[in-house]
Amino acid sequence: MSKIKSGKGKVSRRKFLKTAGMAGGAAAVGLLAKGPARAATRAQPQGPGRVEVRLNVNGRERVLKLEPRGTLVEALRDHLRLTGTKRVCDHGECGACTVLINGRAVCSCMTLAVDAQGKKIVTIEGLAQGKVLTRLQKAFVDHDALQCGFCTPGMIMSLKALLDQHPRATAQQIKAAIAGNYCRCGALPNILKAANAAARV
Amino acid sequence: MYPPARAGRAARSPEEKPPRKKKLKAKVGLAEHPQIVEIEVPENELPVWDLDAKLKIVGKRVPRIEGPAKVTGQAKYTLDYTAEDLPGLLYAKVLRSPYAHARVESIDASKAAALAGVKAVVLIDKGQGFYAPEALLDVVSDGPVSHPQDREVIFEGEEVAVVAAESEAIAEDALELIEVKYQRLPHVVDYEEARQPNAPLVRKGGTSNVLPADPQVVGDIEKGFKEADVTIERTLRVPVLLHNCAESHAAVAQWEGPKLTVWASTQGVNGFRDDLAKTFKMDKAGIRVITQHMGGGFGSKFGMQNYGALAALMARRAGAPVKLAYDRHEESLAAGNRPNATMWIKVGAKKDGSLTAIHCRAYGTAGVGRDASVTSIMATVYKCPNVRLEDSDVLTHVGYGMPMRAPGYPQGSFAIESAMDELARELKMDPLELRRKNFVDLPLLALDEMYRMGAEKIGWARRREMGPQSASPIKRGIGMGTAVWGNGAGPPAMSRVTISPDGTVESAMAVQDLGVGTRTLVAIVTAEELGVAVEAVKVTIGDTRLELIAPDSGGSVTALSIAPAIRLAAAHAREELFKQVAPALGAKPEDLISTDGKIFARSQPEKALTWQEAAAKLSKPVSGLGERLPNVAPYGDLPLWGVQFAEVEVDTETGLVRVVKVVAVHEAGRVINRATFEGQIHGGVMMGVGYALLERRAVDKPEGRVINPNLEDYKMIGPEELPEIEVLIVEPINPANNVGGKGIGEPCTVPTAAAIANAVAHALGVRIYELPLAPDRILDALSRQKEA
Repeated sequence: MSKIKSGKGKVSRRKFLKTAGMAGGAAAVGLLAKGPARAATRAQPQGPGRVEVRLNVNGRERVLKLEPRGTLVEALRDHLRLTGTKRVCDHGECGACTVLINGRAVCSCMTLAVDAQGKKIVTIEGLAQGKVLTRLQKAFVDHDALQCGFCTPGMIMSLKALLDQHPRATAQQIKAAIAGNYCRCGALPNILKAANAAARV
Repeated sequence: MYPPARAGRAARSPEEKPPRKKKLKAKVGLAEHPQIVEIEVPENELPVWDLDAKLKIVGKRVPRIEGPAKVTGQAKYTLDYTAEDLPGLLYAKVLRSPYAHARVESIDASKAAALAGVKAVVLIDKGQGFYAPEALLDVVSDGPVSHPQDREVIFEGEEVAVVAAESEAIAEDALELIEVKYQRLPHVVDYEEARQPNAPLVRKGGTSNVLPADPQVVGDIEKGFKEADVTIERTLRVPVLLHNCAESHAAVAQWEGPKLTVWASTQGVNGFRDDLAKTFKMDKAGIRVITQHMGGGFGSKFGMQNYGALAALMARRAGAPVKLAYDRHEESLAAGNRPNATMWIKVGAKKDGSLTAIHCRAYGTAGVGRDASVTSIMATVYKCPNVRLEDSDVLTHVGYGMPMRAPGYPQGSFAIESAMDELARELKMDPLELRRKNFVDLPLLALDEMYRMGAEKIGWARRREMGPQSASPIKRGIGMGTAVWGNGAGPPAMSRVTISPDGTVESAMAVQDLGVGTRTLVAIVTAEELGVAVEAVKVTIGDTRLELIAPDSGGSVTALSIAPAIRLAAAHAREELFKQVAPALGAKPEDLISTDGKIFARSQPEKALTWQEAAAKLSKPVSGLGERLPNVAPYGDLPLWGVQFAEVEVDTETGLVRVVKVVAVHEAGRVINRATFEGQIHGGVMMGVGYALLERRAVDKPEGRVINPNLEDYKMIGPEELPEIEVLIVEPINPANNVGGKGIGEPCTVPTAAAIANAVAHALGVRIYELPLAPDRILDALSRQKEA
């Protein structure tokens, strides 16, 4: 999906999602999520104005008024002040926006907020209990598995999805889990160390 | 013309006169072969943390102090500011040229301006190219309709119009309503074509797209080549790279009356503020720039640039705070890149391997920008009496270049290191021996030690068993390269350390942390000097309002520009504390010491106050200011050195290269935080592996468009491509400053790609002269080898 805004006949990502969302094309979008996607069935067209959206985020029910074309990452960042989830490529290419939806790691930039209703969403802000970090988060700090820290939330969420399923994940499983998360600073060697340490405990 | 390749130094210089001098002795160099040197320093300078210094925290592995904030999503970056933080925040979006070269005949933004939720529209409708962001106010109009007379866009992605609206979605909708009539003009995006005499000119009024720099000349190359027994002559090429910082170029601007506050993702809050002051013709005191957490820069975020200028302009026009953040597409087109290069290199040597001459002619393109020079490394990395280096910039109709991690050096390294390996082959010498034969003569050089350590760790001796003769289709090889980078650390830098009666310590400075660990380094140096724990130090950085000058972060200058100033500030604050607690300890202030959280007189260590008890004796907080003093000659000019060795496997059936291991041996004088020092090296190596194997920005010639402006088609390495990286550190203490250190950010990415290319050539017995070493190039080279 190229994004030449001034060119004619090009489809912007937002426009694509707008159309997809209204036409109940969530299945097409869902396919871009990590892992096997379950096609959502949504018969009712919604929008184009703001509609009520109910999201269960980090155990709390939140009610928002959003345009149906809005993505989950936008809802989290711009409306719920959960800016720990980062938006970097906005095209499902970098993993920075990874959140858990019903336990699966999903790119929240490729998920419409309306399609995340009725599901359990967990973001980076939902992991620590107060100041007590999870084992994975602590391993990241201890092994210096972060530099600028911009990819960190996505890395942690991708790894959490893996470790929740496979607490003793292998080094190869760990690599595969973050193969879709990019890091430019070079924290990767220490991210692998941290994840392996968290998996071995 | 476009944002210049600035070295990233803050402009203000200290006005005080240099104080009187004193002489100090310092034990420096490597611990294995220490040297005592006498240095002359200003009277207020502290003794160097030399080999005898007993340091408690410096040099250890200290986890980043902002780690918990970053792993919980609490660290707030520029991109994270929303209307929740700044009520009424508007979102700006930029309409950009889809063409590499066109005349803008008309812009009609009336429909966009009328769209509900749109608060301001600005047209960039004057001149050729939106150049020099400081000149912003001269090239814009408020439209909404314009029929410009002289407006040309000269690269895909150049700014044409800007909209500020209540939401990003509305702003994007508005962009689609802007009607621009372009008359396409001939473009040239390929730098080889741009050099041709009949190529379309990028600059109006120019006579050629080729802009040669003055040659750098040492000795006489003609004489040098006459003396040579062997010469090698080759042409090598490297591609354009994109910085691809995780956080895009972003700024949030807010005007309160005449006062301007900008939250910016920038490598220099001070430089950013200075540029804003020039652009809006304001006093610097009326501008505040804030960078708390930042998602990487790598050279692409010096100065205010267009994103900063436009955010501030739109905020002023709309009368509301405005956020302008590039998306990944804009980031790939109009936020800087590393220039490519074609390098013709000729190297001569005597039979014994000593170099007699190096001649390089190179040209590359920084798009519509300047400074694609790549040859500087060839004058410094090896000893050679006769050198001639000729660089040319070639202008093309593509987005401008910006400095990128060791600007020019990874490019030049690929050429010189490839030539060195081929020279060794001609001379039937071991490539490592050839390097050892050509050391530069500099004090405190630990290069020989580094070659030895690296060779041992990679298993250089195993090299003999590797290479094309292996029966397996998977060929293995080992190669190496030498890193060098100039030491740019120095004044000005100013720090303030404050001790409060409750025992807390605040260390403040208007420096920014790009993600390299600067914040933690500030805490470490403060804690070490005061004898308290790192956790006791509250670090305040990233804000020009502190009025504590610090360099813009680039060129590996930050750590060692600021650390010596922080030491002095802490020492001055401690002096004040000692004055006030000395009576309680029945001692003179000058006899007191502070260590491990205790304060006592040297003669009476048993009678000690805890840090808390001592601080409680203060009636009010005490502060110390520290100013970065000049480097001690000649040590301040000593370059930063490193050596990298790479082991590769090349699949001769698929052409795929796998980097098995990189051994990176680096020195930077004294290491302050081993954890973040290693992290820098990991990052430099990772970028180097990408440079060697994957990364290249591609531009379609007929259409003049970047065809991989995203993170899918622009390939960077991930966990599957990541080699084992072994970091070895040597610490030849350098008495140029009171900390004994240099820098590390750039040298660690200089020789990685060159070392990998040499390893691949060793594995295959045939050399590829162009990066990246993609499978098609490997297979081509192998088939040419078969034919030959």
